[in-house]
Amino acid sequence: MSSVEKQAGDWLGARLTRKEDLRLVTGQGRYLADLVLPGMLHALFVRSEYAHARIKSIDASEALALPGVVAVYTGADIKDSVKPMPQSVVLPNLPARYPTFWPLATDKVKFHGEPVALIVARDKYVAEDAAELVYVDYEELPVILDPERALAADSPLVHEEDGSNEIFAMTLTGGETPEGQAENAAEVEKIFQAADVVVSERFRVHRTGITPMEPRGVLCDWNDADGLTAWITTQRPHIDRLALIDILDIPGEQVRVIAPRDQGGGFGVKAPFYRENIMIAYAARALKRPVRWVESRYESLMNVGQERDQINDLEIAASKDGKLLAVRNHGLADNGVGTTGVYWGFVMPFLGAVELPNAYTWERGDVRLRVATTNKASLTPSRAFGHFPTRFALERAIDMVAHRIGMEPAELRRRNLVPSLPYTSVTNEYYDSGDFLRVWDNLLERADLPAFRAEQAAARKQGRHLGIGFACGVELSGVASELLVPMENQPGYGAATVRLDPRGKVMVFGGDAPGGQGHETTTAQVVASLFGIDPKDVVVTTGDTGTTPFGAGSIGARAGSYFVSAVANACQELQDKITRILAHDLQIEASRQHFEFKDGEVVYLGDSSKRKTFRDIVERIIMHPINMPEGEVGGLEWTAFFEAAKPMICFNADCCIVEVDVDSGNFEIRRWVTSEDVGTLINPNIVDGQMHGAIVQGLSNAMFEEFVYDEQGQQLSADFEHYKLATAADVPDIEITYAPTPCPHTPLGTRGIGEGRPSSVPGALTNAVCDALAPFGVELTELPLRPDRVWRALQAARGERR
Amino acid sequence: MYPARIEHYERPQSVAEALAALGRFEPGDAIFLAGGMSAMQAMKSRMLQPRCVIDLQDVAELQGVTREHGALRLGAMTRYAAIAADAAIPSAYQALRDAAAHVGDRQVRNRGTIGGSVSWNYVASCMPATVLGLRGAMLLAAADGSTRRVVADDFFLGPLETARRDDEILLAVEFPAPPAHCGSAYAKWGLIKDALPVVGICVMVGLDDDDKCVSARIALSGLADGCQRASAGEASLLDSEGDEQAIAVAMDAIAESVETQSDQSADADYRRQLIRSVGREVAARAFARARGQ
Amino acid sequence: MKTISVTVNGSVFEEDVPERLLLVDFLRDRLALTGTHVGCTHEGVCGACTVHLDGEAVKSCMMLAVQADGHAVTTVEGLARDDRLSALQEAFARHHGLQCGYCTPGILMNMTDFLTGNPDPSEDEIRHGLIGNLCRCTGYVHIVRAVKDAARVLRENTGGAR
Repeated sequence: MSSVEKQAGDWLGARLTRKEDLRLVTGQGRYLADLVLPGMLHALFVRSEYAHARIKSIDASEALALPGVVAVYTGADIKDSVKPMPQSVVLPNLPARYPTFWPLATDKVKFHGEPVALIVARDKYVAEDAAELVYVDYEELPVILDPERALAADSPLVHEEDGSNEIFAMTLTGGETPEGQAENAAEVEKIFQAADVVVSERFRVHRTGITPMEPRGVLCDWNDADGLTAWITTQRPHIDRLALIDILDIPGEQVRVIAPRDQGGGFGVKAPFYRENIMIAYAARALKRPVRWVESRYESLMNVGQERDQINDLEIAASKDGKLLAVRNHGLADNGVGTTGVYWGFVMPFLGAVELPNAYTWERGDVRLRVATTNKASLTPSRAFGHFPTRFALERAIDMVAHRIGMEPAELRRRNLVPSLPYTSVTNEYYDSGDFLRVWDNLLERADLPAFRAEQAAARKQGRHLGIGFACGVELSGVASELLVPMENQPGYGAATVRLDPRGKVMVFGGDAPGGQGHETTTAQVVASLFGIDPKDVVVTTGDTGTTPFGAGSIGARAGSYFVSAVANACQELQDKITRILAHDLQIEASRQHFEFKDGEVVYLGDSSKRKTFRDIVERIIMHPINMPEGEVGGLEWTAFFEAAKPMICFNADCCIVEVDVDSGNFEIRRWVTSEDVGTLINPNIVDGQMHGAIVQGLSNAMFEEFVYDEQGQQLSADFEHYKLATAADVPDIEITYAPTPCPHTPLGTRGIGEGRPSSVPGALTNAVCDALAPFGVELTELPLRPDRVWRALQAARGERR
Repeated sequence: MYPARIEHYERPQSVAEALAALGRFEPGDAIFLAGGMSAMQAMKSRMLQPRCVIDLQDVAELQGVTREHGALRLGAMTRYAAIAADAAIPSAYQALRDAAAHVGDRQVRNRGTIGGSVSWNYVASCMPATVLGLRGAMLLAAADGSTRRVVADDFFLGPLETARRDDEILLAVEFPAPPAHCGSAYAKWGLIKDALPVVGICVMVGLDDDDKCVSARIALSGLADGCQRASAGEASLLDSEGDEQAIAVAMDAIAESVETQSDQSADADYRRQLIRSVGREVAARAFARARGQ
Repeated sequence: MKTISVTVNGSVFEEDVPERLLLVDFLRDRLALTGTHVGCTHEGVCGACTVHLDGEAVKSCMMLAVQADGHAVTTVEGLARDDRLSALQEAFARHHGLQCGYCTPGILMNMTDFLTGNPDPSEDEIRHGLIGNLCRCTGYVHIVRAVKDAARVLRENTGGAR
């Protein structure tokens, strides 16, 4: 395999071929479904056929009698030996009506697909035969599917004990007290009353999310001496471990969770703590046999990856000369059932409301959110966590303001971008650093707006309809404890152990659990750059709670922000120690800043003849700790942490050019160009790839993917023929450009990137389509954006004009 | 996800063996497996739970494309990939290639067969409507050695239903020798590229020496009642020269006369619009081919 | 049960299999060739399980193992020869054409077959050829580049074995 030449003696910024790839292109990756233990049994969940029904009885006797079936568990079987959720480790510090539930439904089922029984068999085909023999007698109950109706006083209840379907409600502006919030709302109203222009619209975004190609899975092994070892497809093994300890009442030292090194994508979907984990661990303990569950795509689409699903009643007050004054948003999210650890559905729309104001300088805002429980699968996190709908609403509304005042939307945005950072938004979100205008101007230069407008005008004369759309997004670069503790009851700091080996190799251990983001390569580049060695000599281990320091998980763009910063901190501590001992050996008075780590050597800058190879000094410190400086002991291993004092951000902007066929409503994306502030780039190939993937996910969500429930709450989209992901033929090439500003709050200037990246996509796309249809005055406010919707809007516009 | 237990797997070497194997089971207990692109879906979801699978891959009589006096015969096991790549298919039957080239994806086209598709007759599939539009006929054989030819209009009875009897096997799909100046085309619309047709249209036209339309057949796929002729449009095209206006009128006539359904792919109104927009493009292409362009 | 004989990556395997066993499970569970992945349930849409059957790309989840009796199957484990990656494998690494790697084996198998019949494909042809493989990570941009570049390398090496 060829490796790209390193640039200017520094691995930071090099387009290095990934360390992960050799095994992955040869079929030697080891994903969860590839793991097999002797005597392993296969588990299968029997799932509810109804969206809302009381379980009258379950008869599993025929299934149990089937040869090869080892056990069948129902809710009644486990209720007394498993603690119900919620347990504190997976409970946010946000005021909400948290439903109580067990891993299998006990009294009633609350969504189509809820686990009702677990079958354990010697063969996975037999387990499926057995599932056909489990007879569940249901009494159907009225289904609650519409979030607005769910909040009506007379609505039937999803969780009866809660007394209301409103799982969460919050006003995010005007401080903590109702008085302060009311006062703020009144001030906002004053601005609206006095404003030249008010845009007021209802924006809807459908239920969709980021379905990874590898579904979930769990393999649990139990023995009475060591306890439980659980391999789980997860982004946060350390949290899963704590949850299993608490819920199954297993002593902490007896639980080890391992996220397989190779995971087929996560995108947030593998971040929650899921009820299935509990049951597989339970079965392994009860049977004292390894038990594996590999989720089918059908189960996956029934249960996870469902996000977005918000109605945002958004209003903007603006002046006629293009000043955005105030924003008011009343959001309503369809939570689904909410029985998902850590997130409970509503945590995503909560953050979506926080992130609503985006990169603009509002004088004031009035931002409120209500979240309703329904008989659907829980919202589960998906990249662009919670704010795909709010950003769509805001970016669309800004274009509508521009149309009203007759200003170029790109110019309206430019005039209202936060001019200098740090800045605190009207929802109290802190933006630490960056240069929004620089990013924006870079985008405008690449997009060449004047040339486009000329082309558009010429095309219109020929009856062709081209359009250009813009949008931007402030995204979290990692999640600081300041935000993560309230939101998810978890710390945000990064942690890494760096261990040097007497042969001069480096091992890095991290508690996060990636799913394709290239941590092994990125981390190796950071270490190699700091120690002046080759990335080949760095090995990275992630995801094993038995060997790694505590990590909050591969979530929220934490790799480039928190994890590599912890790695850098650890390397710097080790550099200090190495140079202290080397100075002693060389009999010079010097400390780290007097040495350079380069090309496999540690060189004294004051006299370059005073040098030692990295391997020799490392071996000397680890293996020959004699004649040491006073107080110094041998060994080279360090665990370091990184925490930013305040949350950090990255920033991006999109430009999209489309052509719309006004006859059929079909549209084609002709160009997609971006501008990104990702801070210091570690590996541009990887960053490009993150952006490509995120943008196409955003497009696929916006145009194709949709979870559909019928009026009985039956989910109709649980296979890839109905839940349509974009194929290669459905999406454009993407031009990524950079206007980076190093982050002043991380040791290397890096920013975490990629998590929020899809959020500006639907706005840019829909703005482009509406720009193309400007002669018809079409303003689209709902996703998915599909030809039929465009066609219908055109029909309506033509009707009005007649 | 996994098929239910299958008791027997047979791999006959001839049509006679295949029919004999079929005869050993009660009707419905044994199924023929051609490319398996639909049957495997049905077995994996356990909608089909056959006791016996009769795999037709080795039956030489079902393979191959033959041409005789302008007539075209596609063995039932002819795969989409082979049809799409067959440059010898005449312009009258180019719709076959249009359809085959966009069924599913490469992997599906490497396995899926025309015989399997027409025998399954799923509503959202391309081949039944194409065969119907092209005046195709199905050649069926029974265990007693008899054969019969059923024209498409009589073969496709409704969604997942055909005139093939339980004791018959489909040998081939046949197309008669076309008259001169004949062209056809097929296209479909789906939300994503090459997906199952939300609406698919096959148009076949014959022209006289003055490029006037003397015969027209139009068939639709993607509608709830299964593949169907669109006679309103056919009549409308006759005597026209296939100009933009004439085609638009014909497609409007179809859109206004057929029953369209609403589902998660498109509502009834948009399906009508798709008939118009896809139909215009397809008909224009069919006329161009008929004119030898 | 049925005894089948299948040549997989050049070696002959004779195994007793249940009639209903899917080819993908035969490869993964019986032969431990776990490079072939499963990404959908019954629909056969994702393409992660793509292998070659007698040299052609097919989805191994849409076939019974018994159907492969007497045939030759190649999986992703059989692409590299003598520890040398194929041009396509190399190009995927060079162009960062994979992230999580779950869809990658299926794409490599499909595109290997594709390039055999289309040595100088356009971007549109590559994208159309990829329809049978869903990828969630890459947005396909680097995949398309990798296929294009592999085609170039293969053309330049015409006469070479791969």
